[in-house]
Amino acid sequence: MMTVESTARTTEPAVGQGRVSGTEPRKPRRRGQRRERPNIGAGIGAGLWFVIVAVPVYFLLATSLRGQGDYLGEGPLSLPTGLTLDNYVRVFEVGFANFLLNSLIVATGAICLVLAVALPAAFAIVRSQNRFVRATFSLFLLGLAVPAQAVIIPIYLIITRLNLYDSLTAIILPTAAFALPISILVLTSSLRDVPRELYEAMAIDGAKVSQTFLQLVLPLSRSGIVTVAIFVGLQAWNNFIFPLVLTQSQETRVLPLGLWEFQTQYGTDVPGLMAAVVLSALPIFALYLFGRRHLLGGLAAGFGK
Amino acid sequence: MRYMSRPHLIGSAALALVVGATSACGTSGPGEESGGGSEGGLEVWALEDATVNPIVQQGIEQFNESSDVSAELTTYVNDAYKQKLQVAMGSPNAPDVFFNWGGGNLAQYVNSDQVVNLSPYMEDDPELRESFLPSVLDVAEIDGEYYGVPMLGVQPIVLFYNKQVFEDAGIEPPETYADLLDAIDTFKEQDIIPVSLAGAQGWTELMWLEYLTDRLGGKGVFDAIAAGEEGSWQDPALLEALSMCRDLAERGAFGSNFSSIDYDNGSASSLLASGKAAMMLMGTWELGTQTDRNPEFVESGNFAYTDFPTMEDGEGEPNAIVGNPSNYFSINSDTENEEAAVDFLTNTVTSDQYVEGLIEAGQVPAVEGIEDQFSSSDTPEFSEFTYNLVSDAPSFTQSWDQAVDPATAEAMLTNLQQVFLGDTTPEEFGEAMEQQR
Amino acid sequence: MSQAARVERPGILWAAPALVFFGLFGLGPVVVVAYLSFTQWNGLETPVWVGMENWQALPGDPNVGHGLLISLGLTSLCWLTQTPLAIMFGAWAAGKQRIRAVASAIFFLPLLLSTAAIALIWRALLDPNFGLAPDIGPFMGLPNGNFLGNGSIALYVIAFVILWQFLPFHMLLYQAAARDIPRNFYEAAEIDGASRLQQFFSITVPQLRNTIIASSILIIVNSMTFFETVLLLTNGGPGTATRILPLHMYFRGFSGFEMGYASAIAVVLVAVGTTLSLLIVRITGYSKMTSQREGA
Repeated sequence: MMTVESTARTTEPAVGQGRVSGTEPRKPRRRGQRRERPNIGAGIGAGLWFVIVAVPVYFLLATSLRGQGDYLGEGPLSLPTGLTLDNYVRVFEVGFANFLLNSLIVATGAICLVLAVALPAAFAIVRSQNRFVRATFSLFLLGLAVPAQAVIIPIYLIITRLNLYDSLTAIILPTAAFALPISILVLTSSLRDVPRELYEAMAIDGAKVSQTFLQLVLPLSRSGIVTVAIFVGLQAWNNFIFPLVLTQSQETRVLPLGLWEFQTQYGTDVPGLMAAVVLSALPIFALYLFGRRHLLGGLAAGFGK
Repeated sequence: MRYMSRPHLIGSAALALVVGATSACGTSGPGEESGGGSEGGLEVWALEDATVNPIVQQGIEQFNESSDVSAELTTYVNDAYKQKLQVAMGSPNAPDVFFNWGGGNLAQYVNSDQVVNLSPYMEDDPELRESFLPSVLDVAEIDGEYYGVPMLGVQPIVLFYNKQVFEDAGIEPPETYADLLDAIDTFKEQDIIPVSLAGAQGWTELMWLEYLTDRLGGKGVFDAIAAGEEGSWQDPALLEALSMCRDLAERGAFGSNFSSIDYDNGSASSLLASGKAAMMLMGTWELGTQTDRNPEFVESGNFAYTDFPTMEDGEGEPNAIVGNPSNYFSINSDTENEEAAVDFLTNTVTSDQYVEGLIEAGQVPAVEGIEDQFSSSDTPEFSEFTYNLVSDAPSFTQSWDQAVDPATAEAMLTNLQQVFLGDTTPEEFGEAMEQQR
Repeated sequence: MSQAARVERPGILWAAPALVFFGLFGLGPVVVVAYLSFTQWNGLETPVWVGMENWQALPGDPNVGHGLLISLGLTSLCWLTQTPLAIMFGAWAAGKQRIRAVASAIFFLPLLLSTAAIALIWRALLDPNFGLAPDIGPFMGLPNGNFLGNGSIALYVIAFVILWQFLPFHMLLYQAAARDIPRNFYEAAEIDGASRLQQFFSITVPQLRNTIIASSILIIVNSMTFFETVLLLTNGGPGTATRILPLHMYFRGFSGFEMGYASAIAVVLVAVGTTLSLLIVRITGYSKMTSQREGA
């Protein structure tokens, strides 16, 4: 109750203040309002949210860098007295590198699998005149509404019957399947932007369908492919329930599960846990720094407008 | 509008599914290459336990030296283990030898024909059978046949307390239930949590119910439940024990935030060690947990223990105990190396070296005639206390969540948590569990 | 059409791998789960057909009704908190000042963390004995900092953590959409003397309509993945206070090993999820939007 009310409180008056911002300057108008239309109400709300986001992030980073005794003694938000990388070292000692590698394999596998089946399918859906093929688009859209954990029991059944239980493949297959609908949505919409004339030009040159696919569709859907790759990669990277139910051993443990195990085994070692969390986010953070636009596209896949 | 063609769409979906389903079945057929476990070796699964794992590991190494089949140990944390085992036993990735709790936990695998019957081997070697404490071995007896051997020490549930906290408060550890209530009130006044309870995990609350029921109504109350007798979940003693649990919670015995405290991550144990809490009802494995997580607490001598308080007007025996009689190793019937697995069970687990190792680690093996050997233990007093507790006890009731089938256990723990929170009355608990039965 | 007909078109084979694969791991399980719901299966042996037994047991299970109710409650709570905040911050962040760009970058940070990571951070922060909870609890009327162990507020705490995790994502959608609103709309409104609030409701919100629909659908579809957050934060507790329906299914299936019964719950989940999504699609006319695009 508390939390929801408090966030609601910060927003509702904030909008109201926006209206009377000229007459009630509770906060100094220091933000570049001369260039842009001022919006103090939303600004205050954003400021509050800034704190709500920043405090846990600070907690995460600071805790990961402080000693265990320091954490229990000084309280969670104090400035760490002595910075140490011991926590990070300890995390690697319990097999973190292996989790990281497994997650990378799963993400790569899922991306390749999705692209391999989704690209031709999207091409067929956009270009085929067969009603059945075009109708499959609706079938995939329907798949959007199927929640993954509602079918975890049959997936478990299928995976064990295929003798895939406790393998990385067992994670890749359902992860890719559940990323397929949005991937196809993204790829079809990017293919629909290809002018009909280009296909016709290819046809006049006597190109086969496969040549059209390789020489026209692939290059022109490059941005869609990047978006899908990032979207699928994130899904695979963060997925929890498939590895939870479909794998068991240390050898097949992926990052999110590794974090959880770390928590139950070294529960009161919060600094170590936070170091593990930071490490698990680093690859995504690197992606964010070097390909922000693509990452955002991958996150918002298919829902830009 | 694409949505007009929906019937057509569903037809095509069904087609795709049929294709999918048949291809799934086509490649199925469990155990095409190997029945279970690792090929040409023994995969041994056990619960993660920093104190005990090295001993099992040592036993395995010893076994590997003399056998041409090599065994390998894999360990999992508590809550995850049962699920992992259940899931794995249905698959070709099952272990050859697996750690279990005996009772209902083992019975479900026995009923699925997944466990090797050890009785014939015991008939061939009567000494083997006689080397274990009978009350403990009996927990692995299902329908008159033995399916497991005790591989760990006995683990009764006892009342742990922080000696320093009691001394500071100027009171003695409780001997009777009335003493316990007094102590609770004393600690409450001093802003100390009287009893550390990991209420986020229902099995810690179950320990209270088990003891209170046993003290109030005797062993028979749960025996009736385990036998599935009608109305057994509505036994007056059980209902009264439930309301006592609820009274304790309302009295503030467990502090105000017990429902968010966890055992697996060490919070509950840290409360006791840090003196924020005075007592804790837990299995004897708590010594291992504390040695691992709060060694200075154990070294200081403030880590203390006593029997569960007696109840003046209860019908139960005052020195009856509940807990885990032991843990057991059983053999997956799909194993390719049954003989080696039996060899591992019969020779390794009873070897002097293994028993000695358990004792040194503070365990109390379920083995006859070892009263004199506890001097090698790091904590001889605690080991002797435990051994005497078990040998003097007229009955040793297995933890209920292990003794009943998993579905009942799941429902029981869920309903019990609600009783502790005051969301459910004892009567509602009884009704809900009767329905489950 | 006649001209286009000469162009060679890709046939069914191109879509076949995706169809078979999606059939096997996406839609196939829906049919299998429906079948399993009529069986008794403990995960070990072969499922045994028991007819309607599981379905008859459903109404008598208080946790099913309760779970469904709090699942829907949690979904509504998430929609009610995320949508207005995301629109407001999204519109705000669409502005050009540098401070907004910097703030958005910070807002974005939770998106870099996995659900498991976020749940673990908040669990550590909300630990009533060793976290931040005992320090902030008193300011919020919880002197003992028992955020996750208090049955009447745990669900709201979960909704808050979910808000923390997903707000940046929805904000991002609105930010992008708000940037596309033609500036002269506002200029014209300004000349007419419309206040900021009037502009917000008469221009910004209607222009964001499609984004609101898309974002709402995502919240509802995603609400099924709240499972992980709840599992890791409260494990459904205290008691059953936060035992949402997917979690109840998970416990019955993978702790109680009543896979058949759990499958019946799963069918309910699929039905509710699909119905909600289709309902929104119908009500909002989102299908027209997509089919228009499709017809291109």
